Amino acid sequence: MDSFRKKFIEEATELIDKLEVALLDLEKNPEDETLVQQVFRIMHTLKGNSAMFGFELIDNFTHNLETIYDQIRNNELELSKPILDVTFACVDHLKSMLDEQNYNDPDFKTIHSGLVEKIDAIINPQKPEGKVESNSKPEAKGVTSTYYILFEPNADIFKNGTNPLYLLDELCSLGDYKVFAHFNRVPQIAEINPDECYTYWEVLLATDKDESVIHDVFIFVESDSTLEIQKLGEENLVADQTFIKEVENLAEVQKDVGLVAIQRLAKVAISNINKRKAEKFTKERIAVKDKTASSIRVSSDKLDTLMNLVSELVTTQARLSLFSEQNNIPGLNPIVENVQKLTRQLRDIAFSIVLIPIENLFGRFQRLVRDLSAELNKDVEFIVEGADTELDKTIIENLSDPLMHILRNSMDHGIEEARVRIANGKPAKGKIVLKAFYSGASVIIQVIDDGAGIDPEMIHAKAISKGLVLPDKKMSKKEILDLIFLPGFSTAKKVTDVSGRGVGMDVVRKKIYDIRGEVEVDSEKGIGTTITIKLPLTLSIIDGLLVSINKSPYVVPLSAIDKIYAVEKDKIYNTFNNLITLDGSQIPFFSLRKEFDLEPSNEELEQVIVVNFEDESVGLVVDYVIGEYQAVLKPLGKHYKNHDIFSGATILGDGTVALVMDTNKIIKMFAIGNKE
Amino acid sequence: MAKTILIVDDSDSIREVVKFTLENEGYNVLVGVDGKDALKHLNGQPIDLVITDLHMPEMDGIELIKKIRVTPGYERIPILFLTTESQAAKKMEAKEAGATGWIIKPFVPAKLLAAINKVIR
Repeated sequence: MDSFRKKFIEEATELIDKLEVALLDLEKNPEDETLVQQVFRIMHTLKGNSAMFGFELIDNFTHNLETIYDQIRNNELELSKPILDVTFACVDHLKSMLDEQNYNDPDFKTIHSGLVEKIDAIINPQKPEGKVESNSKPEAKGVTSTYYILFEPNADIFKNGTNPLYLLDELCSLGDYKVFAHFNRVPQIAEINPDECYTYWEVLLATDKDESVIHDVFIFVESDSTLEIQKLGEENLVADQTFIKEVENLAEVQKDVGLVAIQRLAKVAISNINKRKAEKFTKERIAVKDKTASSIRVSSDKLDTLMNLVSELVTTQARLSLFSEQNNIPGLNPIVENVQKLTRQLRDIAFSIVLIPIENLFGRFQRLVRDLSAELNKDVEFIVEGADTELDKTIIENLSDPLMHILRNSMDHGIEEARVRIANGKPAKGKIVLKAFYSGASVIIQVIDDGAGIDPEMIHAKAISKGLVLPDKKMSKKEILDLIFLPGFSTAKKVTDVSGRGVGMDVVRKKIYDIRGEVEVDSEKGIGTTITIKLPLTLSIIDGLLVSINKSPYVVPLSAIDKIYAVEKDKIYNTFNNLITLDGSQIPFFSLRKEFDLEPSNEELEQVIVVNFEDESVGLVVDYVIGEYQAVLKPLGKHYKNHDIFSGATILGDGTVALVMDTNKIIKMFAIGNKE
Repeated sequence: MAKTILIVDDSDSIREVVKFTLENEGYNVLVGVDGKDALKHLNGQPIDLVITDLHMPEMDGIELIKKIRVTPGYERIPILFLTTESQAAKKMEAKEAGATGWIIKPFVPAKLLAAINKVIR
């Protein structure tokens, strides 16, 4: 390469010298157009040669310089002394550019960029600081179009040394193709002149290249042949089997297919393709629509308002039902029933709107466990199950802190150090499972670790030493484990950074109670601990059973109810051990009249509502069962805060207030009361 | 067998760079400094392609093309001529003289080879 680089430099030096002479002439005769032409031509040649020999810098530099003289010769620009001054400076610079060793010299660079700016300023006076846009054109359009090309060479095409097959080859390299060669003009063998071309071709070409690229293929022969290039459509018709088959059939029947026939077929094919596309598009649109529908964002204020309104509607509907019952107006009842049905549906939908998947919360915990793993140097595998379980967003918001605390406990106190685990025959890597699932109308969230577990004896001893329980009191394991939820109890021997932030399990329990949930602990020493949180699906409205005790209405959550029995009064009041036999099985029961310190009722039949309590059935005896009722939960005022056997109150249709029972707490409280 | 290409140009540097590019691609390359000089190669040896400049002393490109088309054995060989964008009128003249196609100067090697590929394989 060096030898002709040298030659280029020789030639370029000559050109630059010539340029200098021409410029000096031009300065003396600025009106001489032939001199302008000469200057332009020399620059053009210099530019072309430098491009060919890889002197890109000269190429780019001369390109803009040449543009000045192009504009002058086209009378777009007037030759002036400043332009000539710049050009002379450029000539000097061009000379130094021939030596590539100068390229990294700082002075060279300064001169170069200075001149480039000056040239640009002359070409684009309106934006002196602007760079000249690159003149590269977008090459491919990216859209595939199908073209019909008829190539009919003149008979004497071979004369100039043209081989049409090479051109067809080149054409086909542009994309997908289908070539039809026509031999119908080939004469009888005796009449054939081998110097003449009798064949012509029809080509279907699907390409993303511009039409001009197709023209370029035939650039040498365009004047010696019939060439027709027609766009059939912006589709890849060559890939359309039906269309190609039809064209092939036509080609067999007819001597040639012809543009008109092909265009007709193409039209049909394109309309079919468009139909398919439209179908697909519609489907996609629907799919997109579905997607957007499922992810509309609404401010939580609006949701709260909606829930409030639905609550009011539920209450009003209850009043309407009551009114209809009390006033026997013909035709009103069906309307009331319909309103009831619609209200229920509306309520359910409003509910589901405020439910969000719990994974929003669980994601945070992944991070927590990861960070704690590093901090405590405990390798822990963290598994999340049921992250798609949905819960009321208010509940989820309030669940974050308690769960965080429980997880910290598991990491800090639960999971042992690797060497301890190995010594106990456990895998070195600990495991924590965070699990959420539905259970009836509740959601259960569990944190299960395979750590050291809780030692009941230690808990018991500690509770005694802290004066939380009496030393001689006999306690079940479950009762002992529940001690960890007492205020002032901390199992940590010493306060660490991670847990023990002055927040104990008592706070966890309180927070969960606040969202009407329950928390339980189960643990096996050396095997692991499971913390179970049970939560209602939602906070504000529940399906309940309206009952009455001593003419006062109460609501029992339907979710807790298993069965209802009507039982004779004697069977209730004449037992000593509070057990009743129902459907062949003995069930413990509480008479609410009795527990509420009321006189026994005068009715012959009492209603026993059997509810689920910690995997057991327990009966609650009430006077009457009035019926199902959608209860809008209203919090009890602060004066009743300690009456936690009621989770709230609801307003009935006639305006009376009914207390909503928390069956679990009622049973717990009365069970303790009866024992003592 | 390697194809033989005859290049005719009065510019030393153009001849050199075209020769270099073509030999790199495995072609045999013959050179002529003008039309008259080029004719000496038409001695019966096989030539697959002629690439010629148009402006040359002694014998210009158009005349050379005409001469090649009447030289026995070389009547049908492809001939490409080198031209600049500003010489559109020359194209027709050269074509009528019997040229197969043209290559526009300045060119990069890829463009040169693409043009050659249009006429010989």
